[in-house]
Amino acid sequence: MIPFLPSPRIDLTDFDRGVFLFTQLIINSIIAGAIYTLLALGFTIIYGTLNFFNMAHGIAYTLGAYFSYLFRIKFGFDLPLAFSLSTLLTALAMIGVDRIAYFNLRIRKAPSWALVVSSIGVAIFLESFISLIFGSDTRSLRTGQAAPGYTVFGAIITPVQIWMLIISALLMIVLTIYLKMTIMGKALRATSNDPEMSSIVGINTESIYKSTFALGSALAAIAGSLVALETDVFPTMGHSALLKSIVASIIGGIGNIPGAVLGSFFLGFAENFGIWKLSASWKDGIALILLIFFILLRPALFGKESQK
Amino acid sequence: MNVVFHLLIMAGIYIILAVSLNLILGYAGLFSVGHGAFYGIGAYTGAILATKLLFPFWGEILAGACVAGLFGFLIGFPTLRLRGDYLALATFGFAVIIYSIFNNWYDLTRGPLGIRGIPKVVLFSIPFTSLWSYTILVGFFVLITIFCIRRLTRSAFGKVLEAIREDDMAALAIGKNIAKFKVLAFVIGALFAGIAGVLYAHYVTFIDPSTFLIQESFLIFSMVIFGGMGSIGGSILGAAILVMLPEALRYLGLPSAIAANMRQMIYGALIVFIINWRPEGLIGKTKL
Repeated sequence: MIPFLPSPRIDLTDFDRGVFLFTQLIINSIIAGAIYTLLALGFTIIYGTLNFFNMAHGIAYTLGAYFSYLFRIKFGFDLPLAFSLSTLLTALAMIGVDRIAYFNLRIRKAPSWALVVSSIGVAIFLESFISLIFGSDTRSLRTGQAAPGYTVFGAIITPVQIWMLIISALLMIVLTIYLKMTIMGKALRATSNDPEMSSIVGINTESIYKSTFALGSALAAIAGSLVALETDVFPTMGHSALLKSIVASIIGGIGNIPGAVLGSFFLGFAENFGIWKLSASWKDGIALILLIFFILLRPALFGKESQK
Repeated sequence: MNVVFHLLIMAGIYIILAVSLNLILGYAGLFSVGHGAFYGIGAYTGAILATKLLFPFWGEILAGACVAGLFGFLIGFPTLRLRGDYLALATFGFAVIIYSIFNNWYDLTRGPLGIRGIPKVVLFSIPFTSLWSYTILVGFFVLITIFCIRRLTRSAFGKVLEAIREDDMAALAIGKNIAKFKVLAFVIGALFAGIAGVLYAHYVTFIDPSTFLIQESFLIFSMVIFGGMGSIGGSILGAAILVMLPEALRYLGLPSAIAANMRQMIYGALIVFIINWRPEGLIGKTKL
């Protein structure tokens, strides 16, 4: 069993503890992987069903974080209530976005790049809107003193990070059950497989598109809220989230759900072990190099669908 | 009056950028969302050569264009075989990598501090220090760009590009080396973006990475979409209108923080609106 011992929180700069660095990196990688999984799962089911790269995926993450901030800090709600409301509102907002920005294009059977362009427009609009309402300075969901971390084999893990792991694992299980066992989930998979055939057999594909979009965005919103507990909330926080969701799902084969999970953990490990030798400011650079590498040389590790 | 010249200069720089991106996006149909990277490469090349090696202005223009063109080749060569939206991802990634290099390669670019003290232009011992003279200089480059791209798009080269955009298999079948044409279009577009970068660096005399964020690429992109893909007049109009627009907001008397966000919101809303309800843009031809 892993010994959980409370210990005083040590600053990240005090990392030169030799052997324990390795354990710490592994734990950090797993936590990063768990968050990336939530993002990549949302991104990949949206791609699989609606068939376009949703460049506004990062905005769902930002929106989730800001809604949680609003309910938790401004209105003083409990954390679980604030999180649920934030997830729900983000999903609803994204259904609205879908109606305005993607519905017409879908009806006209526009090429997928038109949807990508539209989602870029959505991302620019909503990001500036958030920054207009909340201001561009950073906010935080933390209240009071940060809780002390636990020591696991000399590495430190905070309670928030443990929650991140638990919630991501739960959501992964729930999503798998939803997709494999429920009627809605089966309809979703059928639609992503062959939309025309699905509508012939009586699946309301339009409602599947909407619910998929809401589901994917809700996952990103949860990731945003969780990260906001640990770090800061600011309007451009969605940029790197978008990047991570793209990279993780491309690595795993876009549209492929187990692939997205593996891709996320791969990315988490690559980044954290990469900055062991490089400076931390190159973290996004590592993700990008992986992106270019996987797009160019090896389109999908696990996916059946590769680029045409 | 200075405001007018400032707007003309900025409009000129963005016209060069939008027209050159239109060659890539509108004519060749290559879905590049990272044009701001070439702009940044041009600006940094110009700034570094001017401050460290004291290059003359024409040398910088040449070097800026060549370095941007070289990067256009380096990124275009491997990525241009990708299908539409994968190319968008690759160019998006590339633009963020370039930004990250500007921000992190301290020895070369001085990182977030940026490069200061870029000298004003002196060309053949004529100083272009005043605003109106620089406006003329930028105007000259705008004309060169429009002339070159116009000639290119009306030449056999441009027709092949349009053929590739419409149906690349058909272009291949009649014996056109589509990869070569795509890379060439990409390199030429990058080249002019590099020139725009050098002009920008000498105009503001101080550059830092924040100018070349991914939003900059999206802005240039929205200018082309707004004006209409495959129409040079459209790109000129699109660039001019989107540069002038924030000034109109300023006259409404909004505080600058709100005005900046309003401007971005208008850009975003315009992109969604155009792509949904008028995909051919203001005066473009390409339909969805």
